[in-house]
Amino acid sequence: MPSSTSSSDRDPVILRRIPEVRWPAAALAALAIATIGIGAWETYWRVGQQVVPAYRNSDGQWAEVRRRVDRSEPNATVFIGSSRTQFDIDLDVWRELTGVHGVQLALEGSNPLPILSDIADDEDFRGLLVVGITPPLVLMPGIGAREEALEHYYKESPSEWVGTKLSYPLEASLAFYNWDFALFTVLERQPWWPRRPGVPFEPPEVRRIENMRRDRQADMWNRVEDDPAYNAIVTSTWQAIVESLPPPPPEDVARAAFEELLANVDRDVRKIRARGGEVVFIRPPSSGWFREIERQMTPRERVWEPIVATAGAVGVHFEDYPELADVKTPEWSHISSRDKARWTRALVGVLKQRMAEAGMERPELGS
Amino acid sequence: MLFNSLTFVAFFAIVLALHNAPLPWRAKKVNLLVASYLFYAAWNPPFVLLLWLSTAVDWVVARKIFESDGQRRRRALLGVSMAVNLGLLGYFKYGGFLLENWQALMNTIGVAWTAPGWDIVLPVGISFYTFQTMAYSLDVYLRRARPADSLLDFSLFVTFFPQLVAGPIVRPTQLIPQFQTPKKANRNQLLWGLGLMTLGLFEKMVIADGALAPAADAVFGADHAVPFSDAWLGTLAFAGQIFSDFAGYSTVAIGVALCLGFSLPDNFRFPYAAIGFSDFWRRWHISLSTWLRDYLYIPLGGNRKGWHRTQTNLMVTMLLGGLWHGAAWTFVIWGGLHGLYLGIERFVRGRWGDAKVAKTAGFRFGLALLTYFLVNLTWVFFRAQDFRTAWRMIQAMLGLPAGEAQLVLSSYLVTVVLVVTVGMLAVHWYMRNRRLEDVVARTPWWITGPVWAGMLIAIVITQGTGNAFIYFQF
Repeated sequence: MPSSTSSSDRDPVILRRIPEVRWPAAALAALAIATIGIGAWETYWRVGQQVVPAYRNSDGQWAEVRRRVDRSEPNATVFIGSSRTQFDIDLDVWRELTGVHGVQLALEGSNPLPILSDIADDEDFRGLLVVGITPPLVLMPGIGAREEALEHYYKESPSEWVGTKLSYPLEASLAFYNWDFALFTVLERQPWWPRRPGVPFEPPEVRRIENMRRDRQADMWNRVEDDPAYNAIVTSTWQAIVESLPPPPPEDVARAAFEELLANVDRDVRKIRARGGEVVFIRPPSSGWFREIERQMTPRERVWEPIVATAGAVGVHFEDYPELADVKTPEWSHISSRDKARWTRALVGVLKQRMAEAGMERPELGS
Repeated sequence: MLFNSLTFVAFFAIVLALHNAPLPWRAKKVNLLVASYLFYAAWNPPFVLLLWLSTAVDWVVARKIFESDGQRRRRALLGVSMAVNLGLLGYFKYGGFLLENWQALMNTIGVAWTAPGWDIVLPVGISFYTFQTMAYSLDVYLRRARPADSLLDFSLFVTFFPQLVAGPIVRPTQLIPQFQTPKKANRNQLLWGLGLMTLGLFEKMVIADGALAPAADAVFGADHAVPFSDAWLGTLAFAGQIFSDFAGYSTVAIGVALCLGFSLPDNFRFPYAAIGFSDFWRRWHISLSTWLRDYLYIPLGGNRKGWHRTQTNLMVTMLLGGLWHGAAWTFVIWGGLHGLYLGIERFVRGRWGDAKVAKTAGFRFGLALLTYFLVNLTWVFFRAQDFRTAWRMIQAMLGLPAGEAQLVLSSYLVTVVLVVTVGMLAVHWYMRNRRLEDVVARTPWWITGPVWAGMLIAIVITQGTGNAFIYFQF
């Protein structure tokens, strides 16, 4: 028997051999070449692709903003919706007009109604909830594209929390540090790959169209507005996504699902009101081919009107106010970064007026 | 925390700085222990209690076993260690599985019984550290080693963060003695350790997550049958992914330990160049296969009790090895297939192992390909989420009709899988009888440097998805 755990013939301590190499020279060469290579990659994106560093819109970032509601700002103004709500609201202008720095929780490609339910269940929230409605998306089952954000908020580990904080300085400094510019994402979307016969068509991934701020405000990337070729990529992606949607469910199934949706909205709005909060609905603008498709698939009277009526809430549809419709949406779906301040001013004005008319003035709106 | 995270980069920088600070050795070990608990708590702080429980029980039990002469008392004490460690595993990992199967059994015999909900979060790496602490008590019980002299050293052995959650599963005699004297990496150890960390992260982030995971996920996630080509491509992608993911973790773990001045054993030796299955298991997850050999197969009698008993022992060992990976029958089948392969190999080797043709290069190459082919069939059960998917995949891979099949992989994914698979097999075959250290030692620095830089650049621009290592769930 071995005398102690300090030695054993059976499983002895293994001393790893270090290869005899000129390690300092190899390491310095590696460091120098890696710095040059990464620098070249960064330059390519900044100069060749006009990218500016921006935040990644990660699940951790969403969770951080979400925590503002239940930790420090129970009387917050919270925005939920899809990317339109994220692009179209100018948080600085909103603060200037109302004195409140809004909590931006809208998620791209996502249905806000499950988030509405989540906030309705959050006993801390007693403020104003602005729900952006993008008609096709609110009919989706579940949250959709960013389903994991809510899960991340509830299950974030200490390690993930720290990782999000450590990532911010890199996101704010490096142009290439963005999901859309990851090596394999870039490789996959190259035009040289032939189409493999027999593989069903998959719509392309949505390209980067925004510059994201730390408070999750998304401003349209100027390339979407100013580069016709890039703009065409974005609009063709919207078309491909919509055209590859599965066919709608049978009429009776769709009707039952919509009735359930309305019942949930009614329940959630009541919960928030019972705590002293309020909910308003907005319908941000769209244009062109997208607008036509929305009219056909989800006419206003079949989706928007019943939701607002069921909630008994103020609803602001852009079609009803010329000042809200008079904006540029370069790729049909989101307001130009040059118009968003004006649109936000108009929206706050309309909301104040409508809330006053309904006898529902809110301190969050400065009214 | 994950090795492939910014959190770990910051954590490791702090640990390395403290380890190189002018502090007494005991203070450095306390730093390492606290760091290891923080490393584990970064997932889910309450689960550190499990580490403490496992540490306390095996520390006390091993000492009592050592001090006891009576065999019955020694056995009872060992039973306490086994009960606690296997109890933890059973509760957290197999509780839901057992209930589910009990319910199925009851329903089969006509008893309408529904299992209660079992929504238990699996503590990360529990299978690894429970096996490591059990090895300690077993070694003392089997009189292979004396208990550790220091609770600090023993706690560090249980918790040492580089290999805590996914191995290599280290034997007490390999690690505890290293804590007894001051350790600090010299310049070359530090740089080679950083090089190994780069290689491991390259395998994980670039090869496993970036190149291969999308194809494997697309094929195994399809809700319909896929044809022969895509079934094979998806399985080859997973074969490469699981190797790069797990070997990548082990390589980072070895590199991290080396940067701190400690040596961990190899866990992989280019397994896809294996010729036969006993060779495969000498190259794949070596620390688990040797653990199962030493603490299960040999105590069962190994190959000392006749042909039939040997085959039975092999099969039992591999079935339990399969179950170690996950609480699902697909893992049991995976283990069972490997047990079957090992049994057949033993039979064939006994009959025809000395034949002249068996020693020719061409024949051996053919055997290596056959081994790789059969290993890929087992990976289907390892990856598939259920038997329906597994069977559908196996049918397609064997060219059997499997219903209305539809392609799922784009030409991009097909190209990536083929290029990476061929490249990986070539590297494994070239390295079959070589060691990485030897190859690097023969390579001039002006080639090593750019290759290292290439991996660094690829890691940075791939960006990483932050995916957990596959073996964390085991």
